[in-house]
Amino acid sequence: MTTGLGRCPCESEAEEQGVTRRGFLAGAAALLAGTIASVLGAAGLSYFVSPAFEKEDENWIDVGRASELRTGAPVKVDYVARKRDAWVVTEKRSSVWLSNLGGGRFIAFDPRCTHLGCPYRWDQGKQEFLCPCHAGVFDREGKVLSGPPPRPLDRFPVKVVSGRLLIRPVDEKGAA
Amino acid sequence: MADWHQDYERRYKELKQKGKSFFPYAVFKDCLVAFLLFGLLAFLAWKLGAHLESLADPTDTSYNPRPEWYFLFLFQALKAFPGSLESVAAVVLPGAVFAALFFLPLFDRGHKRHPLDRPFLTGLGVLAIAGVTALTVEGYRSPLVNPVVEKNPEVVEGARLYRQLNCAYCHKIRGKGGVVGPQLDRVVGAESPEWLERHFRDPSAVTPHSAMPRLGLLDDEIKALTAYLKSIANEPFTQEAPKLFAENCAVCHKIRGQGGEVGPDLSTIGSARDKSFIVRYIEDPAKTNPKSGMPAFRGQLTDLQIEDLARYLSSLGR
Amino acid sequence: MKRRCRAVGEWLRRRTGCDRVWETLFARHIPEAEGPTAWLYTLGSATLFIFVVQAVTGALLAMNYVPSPDHAYDSVRFINEKVLCGSFIHGLHHFGASFMVVLVVLHMLRVYFMGAYKYPREGTWMVGVVLLLVVIGFGFTGYLLPWDQKAYWATMVGTNIAGQTPFVGPLVSKILKGGGEMGASTLTRFYALHVLVLPAVVLLLIGIHLFLVVWHGISEPPERARRRGEGNPLG
Repeated sequence: MTTGLGRCPCESEAEEQGVTRRGFLAGAAALLAGTIASVLGAAGLSYFVSPAFEKEDENWIDVGRASELRTGAPVKVDYVARKRDAWVVTEKRSSVWLSNLGGGRFIAFDPRCTHLGCPYRWDQGKQEFLCPCHAGVFDREGKVLSGPPPRPLDRFPVKVVSGRLLIRPVDEKGAA
Repeated sequence: MADWHQDYERRYKELKQKGKSFFPYAVFKDCLVAFLLFGLLAFLAWKLGAHLESLADPTDTSYNPRPEWYFLFLFQALKAFPGSLESVAAVVLPGAVFAALFFLPLFDRGHKRHPLDRPFLTGLGVLAIAGVTALTVEGYRSPLVNPVVEKNPEVVEGARLYRQLNCAYCHKIRGKGGVVGPQLDRVVGAESPEWLERHFRDPSAVTPHSAMPRLGLLDDEIKALTAYLKSIANEPFTQEAPKLFAENCAVCHKIRGQGGEVGPDLSTIGSARDKSFIVRYIEDPAKTNPKSGMPAFRGQLTDLQIEDLARYLSSLGR
Repeated sequence: MKRRCRAVGEWLRRRTGCDRVWETLFARHIPEAEGPTAWLYTLGSATLFIFVVQAVTGALLAMNYVPSPDHAYDSVRFINEKVLCGSFIHGLHHFGASFMVVLVVLHMLRVYFMGAYKYPREGTWMVGVVLLLVVIGFGFTGYLLPWDQKAYWATMVGTNIAGQTPFVGPLVSKILKGGGEMGASTLTRFYALHVLVLPAVVLLLIGIHLFLVVWHGISEPPERARRRGEGNPLG
């Protein structure tokens, strides 16, 4: 590439040595540049792919003291769910039907009817859930008694931690 | 003029032919320097990171604005110019310098290149470096007007949440806010952080029949609000303040049983006097209380120290 | 295998002329500088290197940054605290800015004291002076973005200084801030300048600057006029 023109005479004398020195410098330059690139690249790549390592936010929501929920009729509880989405905190007001089955067993029902998502209510006289839209009827465990709903009422995961009732409102696909 | 141009080109061609290839001889040096620089840069980034101060607060009157260090010399130079001439230092002078730099090759058109052959420009350059360095150092050393208090980021975050959640609709802090709930600066001092945390999770769990709604706060939001409420009783002071007291005041004044008898006991001064009163008093007691035997500390202590000390004292007994 | 490689190389050479490019950029001969002087010639490439670091880290930071007073600070905190290597990348960008200023100034001083801005490199120097201004512009606009106390107040002072320009001052300050008060429109304005306008300008100018450097060849270390004059009646 650079043969011919303008080589200083000393270089041709020490051709052998010159080649190795040249090769050494080229190799060293490549090594240095490679090190920089790999450190910057590794840090940059970690940054870029960091969403993949994000822990799934459990988002359990405190809906009150477990002892306050008496057995018997299901209770509708309104709650405010604050949720962190990266640097933004969003607030969602929602509700849940809670039922105490006794013996530390609780059920939390998604407050939307499984037919078309209407808000249903508890009929104290008949001891049934009644959906006003298309007359879907569920029993106190959420099983369909009559009407068009295709499946029992959706349930949210429930747990009791140090006396407090926590729910995790997720839809069927598991997204919070 | 063009004579030396041709001569230069001939000479340059010679030098170029005698010289070595850019790769790898110069490239190696470039890579080595880049490597060392990157090492230093990575070290700084790793060890110090990018420091983030607290959220911008346009209402803050106690902040010391400082430009980034490479603008500090300009900032400092401004102080040397009286008001009406400030625009000269701020805009006209820098503008002129840039124009001069830009057109430099059109003014300096001789063939001499060696710094020693161009004493005027070399001298000017050295002077400029010295001047900028001196101004930067001076700017760096110039005292800050307000005491620098490291703010606890949790407290700042809590204050922001307090505003966002409109807590002041029901609660009062320092006389501002609603009357539905308790006056927070009066009551939170008595409660433990654990109590506050439980309270935020579910107010009615710790205070039966509380009118406060459950807000569904996230864990770190609860921590921030707790930190904020714990802080509102006092304005923050530095660790130097108690030492300043011990060195300058404890000869005559007592705090919690330690100190002299000449002046009044200051253990609960914060409940009686506010900070601005204390500042005025420390600066010159005779102005407020002609019979006072206390010396004036203005001049003895810097304004910064007096402010710091007053914050410390106003926190006592609250 | 080897033959295959050579064939690919030949194909590329024919299509792109990459061997000519290599010869022009890297196999070019440069005047020899001796001893410590030789290291002064690395300042320009060091600046270019830091620019690349700033571009890479800046692009990454932009993935999580929101130029709005509501969220700017939180998004930067998110980078510092939640993103993998986020504080490192942010740190590189933050200190890189200082490095950039220092290197640009040192590079400029090298050229100034060596008289390297003279014929035929006047244009290279002039583009360089504009590049210095652009770097300062990067520093000034970037400083505001975290929207913390120092960012806010330093920019307040900076825009007020610009407001002291004779005659057009208040106008300049208003244009910089995007209004009478510092706020949302100041931040979006600075952000757009920092990530869209200035990068475009700087890339163009760096391109011209580098082209001129290669076109004219790197300047030789200056010689004393007298010594040079020995074989030269003009000296």
